[in-house]
Amino acid sequence: MAQTMDIAVSKNGKRVLNVWFAVLVLFLYAPLGLLLLFSFNDNNLPVFPLKGFTTSAYEQFAANAELKASVVTSAKVAAISSLIAVLLGLLAAIVLVRRHVFGKSVASALLLSPLVVPYIALAIGLLVFFSQVPEWFPLGMRTIVMGHVVLSIPYTILILVPRFERLDVRIEEAARDLGAGAFQTFRLITLPLILPALVSAFIVAFVLSFDEIIIASFVNGDITTFPIYLFSQLRFPTLLPQVIAVACVVMAASALILVGAEIGRRILERRLGAEL
Amino acid sequence: MAVEAQEVAKPTPAKGVMRRSHSGLATTGLLAPPTLWLAIFFLVPVVLILLYSVNLFSLYPGGQYFTLDAWKDFLDGGPFLQLFWKSIWMSLAVSVIAVVAAYPIAYYLALVASKRKYVLLLLILAPFLVSYFLRLLAWKVILGDQGVINSFLYWTGLRAEDDPVTWLLYSKFAVVLTLIYVYVPFVALPIFASLESMDRRLLEAAADLGASRWQAFRKVTLPLSLPGVIAAFIFVFIPTIGEYFTPLLVGGVNGTMFGNAIADQFGQSLNWLNGSVLSFFLLLVVALLMGVFARYLTIRRVATG
Repeated sequence: MAQTMDIAVSKNGKRVLNVWFAVLVLFLYAPLGLLLLFSFNDNNLPVFPLKGFTTSAYEQFAANAELKASVVTSAKVAAISSLIAVLLGLLAAIVLVRRHVFGKSVASALLLSPLVVPYIALAIGLLVFFSQVPEWFPLGMRTIVMGHVVLSIPYTILILVPRFERLDVRIEEAARDLGAGAFQTFRLITLPLILPALVSAFIVAFVLSFDEIIIASFVNGDITTFPIYLFSQLRFPTLLPQVIAVACVVMAASALILVGAEIGRRILERRLGAEL
Repeated sequence: MAVEAQEVAKPTPAKGVMRRSHSGLATTGLLAPPTLWLAIFFLVPVVLILLYSVNLFSLYPGGQYFTLDAWKDFLDGGPFLQLFWKSIWMSLAVSVIAVVAAYPIAYYLALVASKRKYVLLLLILAPFLVSYFLRLLAWKVILGDQGVINSFLYWTGLRAEDDPVTWLLYSKFAVVLTLIYVYVPFVALPIFASLESMDRRLLEAAADLGASRWQAFRKVTLPLSLPGVIAAFIFVFIPTIGEYFTPLLVGGVNGTMFGNAIADQFGQSLNWLNGSVLSFFLLLVVALLMGVFARYLTIRRVATG
C-alpha cells in the first residue's frame, strides 16, 4: 500500500493535495455555516456585522401554520411517490436481472432515461399532457406524485439491480424445491433479503421528491409543497432569516432520519448476514 | 447513487439464471407496470410536446394545422438559438471546471488517503443531503450587494460605501459558480470509483520499469480513470444545459439560460407553440449527446448485462 502511495504522489505533491482538499471542503461547507450563523443573528437582513444572538427566527416559524402545512404536503407527496417508485422499480429490477425477455434493452433504456432528461422539459410535457385531459388529471397532489414517480424510478432500479445480482438464486430454488409457491418464496425468502436495499431505495426517492421544485411548481395547481413555499417567501427579504431557520431545521431533521435509517439498515443487514 | 451505478458495472459473477422456466406472460406482467407508468407520464408528454411544436395541437380551438414555421424561426438563428449556445458554453464551463477541481480530490482519496478515505469521501458527499434550495440561498447571501463578500470589501476599505461589486450576483458568474458548487461532489464520485477499482500493481510495475511519477500518471493512471472522468463530465454537462432553477434564483437577466426561456414561453409569454419547439429541441440535444456518450456510461450495462 505504502509503495503505491509513493508512486502516486511525492511528498510535496501530497502537501499540495492536502491543501486542495482543505480548500474544497471549505468551499463546500463555508456557505452552509454562514447560513446557520445568520439564522441566529438578531437582524432581518443577512448582512455583516452580526448584531447579536437570537432564536426568534426559529420561534416565529414554529407558529407558522402555512409553513407547517406545506411540510406535511411535501412529506405526503414524497411518501406516496417513493412507495410507488420502489414497487415499480422492484418489478423492473426482477425482470432486468432474472428474466430474458424480448425488448429488455429498450425497456431498460426507457426506465433509466429520466436520469438525464432535463426536469424543465419533463415538467412542461406533464403540464401539456395534464391540461389536455384536465378531467382525468386535475392538477394537485396526485399530479405531482405522478411526475415524482417518473424521476425516482431509475434511482430505485439502480439501487435494487446490484442487490438482485448479489442474491444467490439457489436459496430461492431451494425454497421452491421444498414446495413453496412463487409468491410464498418471494414473501418468505426474497423479500427479507432485499429489504435493506428496498429501504435505501425508498429513502433516496423520498429525499428526491421532498426537495423537488421544478416539476412540482408546474403541475401543483393550488397545492403548496415545502420547496414552493420557501421559494415564495424569498420575495419578502425580511422573512429570509425565517426561511433559513426553517431550512436548517429540516436539514437537521432529514440528516437525523437518514443516519437513523442507515444504522437500522446496517443492523438489519448484519442480522441477515448472520443468518445466512 | 452514482456509487450504485458503478456497482452495477462491476462484472459480478452470474450466480446462474433461475432454472425454472417462467411463462412469458408472467414476465410481461412484471415489466408492464413500470413501463406503462413511464409510457404514460413520460413518453406521452414528450410526444405531445412534439405535436404542439408542429401546431398539430394548439392552445386555441380550431387553430390546429401542420406547420414547421416555429421550427424554422427557431433554427434561423434568432435570440432563442443564441440563448441555447450561451447555455451550452455555460454548461461546458461548469462541467470542465468541476471535473478539473474534483479530479485531484478523487485521486487523493483513492490513492493517497489510505485508511480514512471513506470518511473523507463522506465529507465531500454530505452537502448532497442539504436541500438544493438552501445551497442556492447560501450563495445569494454571500454574493449579494449587501452580502458577505461586499461587506468584507467595504470593511477592508477596498470599495466605497455606495459602490458594491454588482456582478457577483444576478450574473453569468453567479450561475456558473453556484452550479460548480452544487455539482463538485457529484463529479468526484465516479472519478473516485474508477481510480479505486484500478489495479495498483500496474502503478508498481510502471515504477519498477523506470517510469517517473508523472509518466506513471500520464501513461497508466489517467487513461484508466478516463471512463470515470467522462461519466462525471456527462452527468454534469447534460442536466445543466436544461438548468432552470439556478439561473432563476441567482442569474438575473444576464445569467438566464435556455430552461428559463422554455418556462417563460409556457408562463408569462403563453406561447406554447414556441415553447414546445424549445423543449423538444432540448430533448433532442440531450438524446443526441446520450447517444454519443452512452458507450462510456456504465449504467448502460444494466440494459445489456
